[in-house]
Amino acid sequence: MPTAEERIRALGLKLPEPMVLADNIAKSRTPYIRVDNLLYVGGHASRNEQVFIVGKLGDTMTTEQGVEAARSAALAVLTSVRAALGDLEKVVRVVRVYGMINATPEYTEHPLVINGASELLVEVFGERGVHTRAAVGMASLPHGVAVEIESIFHVRD
Amino acid sequence: MATAEERIRELGLTLPAPRIPAGSDHVPYVRTGNLVFVGGDVSRRPGGSVLTGKLGEDMTTEEGYQAARGIVLSVLATVRSAIGDLEKVVRVVRVFGMVNATPSFAEHPQVINGASDLLVEIFGERGRHSRAAVGMSSLLEGAAVSFESVFEVRD
Repeated sequence: MPTAEERIRALGLKLPEPMVLADNIAKSRTPYIRVDNLLYVGGHASRNEQVFIVGKLGDTMTTEQGVEAARSAALAVLTSVRAALGDLEKVVRVVRVYGMINATPEYTEHPLVINGASELLVEVFGERGVHTRAAVGMASLPHGVAVEIESIFHVRD
Repeated sequence: MATAEERIRELGLTLPAPRIPAGSDHVPYVRTGNLVFVGGDVSRRPGGSVLTGKLGEDMTTEEGYQAARGIVLSVLATVRSAIGDLEKVVRVVRVFGMVNATPSFAEHPQVINGASDLLVEIFGERGRHSRAAVGMSSLLEGAAVSFESVFEVRD
């Protein structure tokens, strides 16, 4: 059974560098908070390294592009989880994914978009990556990003 | 090191009366183990009426910041009613900040900073939290900001 880190290498994935937060944000928020065996991971935006992936589904971005944006947000989440734990093998399982899509009022393919994140988590963690999920449309997101993912991980020492 | 209650006094702030739930089917908070889950609270004016507005349309980011800041006082009144004393807050775990915003609004973090900054002013390092700050197409009674949160507490 390959480890999560081995799967990441086998899939040819590269986790992005941690997001550099503005000082007025970093003073009050952290990427994650661990309480006992649960890791609460805050909102992580779609991005390529330090450049946000912006767009509005149903308007300036297609569902296929949204899938890639969701996948990038999930990779950013894994960067924070690895920073929190030191090793992704300490993830017992993914508990909850709340996938938020910058979308028009008429847009309806939210699950297809957030599948980009969900499938990545299963590719990396196997059965441990299967999670509860909501995939919803937001009126707007910070900086105009296309996708933002909030999540909870069950972890161990 | 000042206590949270002392910090609130030093800042010239007072907590309002704890919120009374609107219906019998939900409550302002639920404690399970060492976590207190505080339900959605909204921006209010002095006196308790809902502070309305839509960011990107009829409210500025600075006004939104102040609206978000005000919600923290109501949330802490709820937390105090749950645990008796804000010193029993081990840390703020999660903040989900919802901004009533137009489709093109993009300064959600700057709005929700109003709440986040006050949590750190009151709790110091214990007030730093994981967060999402997002735009909603509408909020109850036209509220400008809503705020859901999770606190780690001790006995």
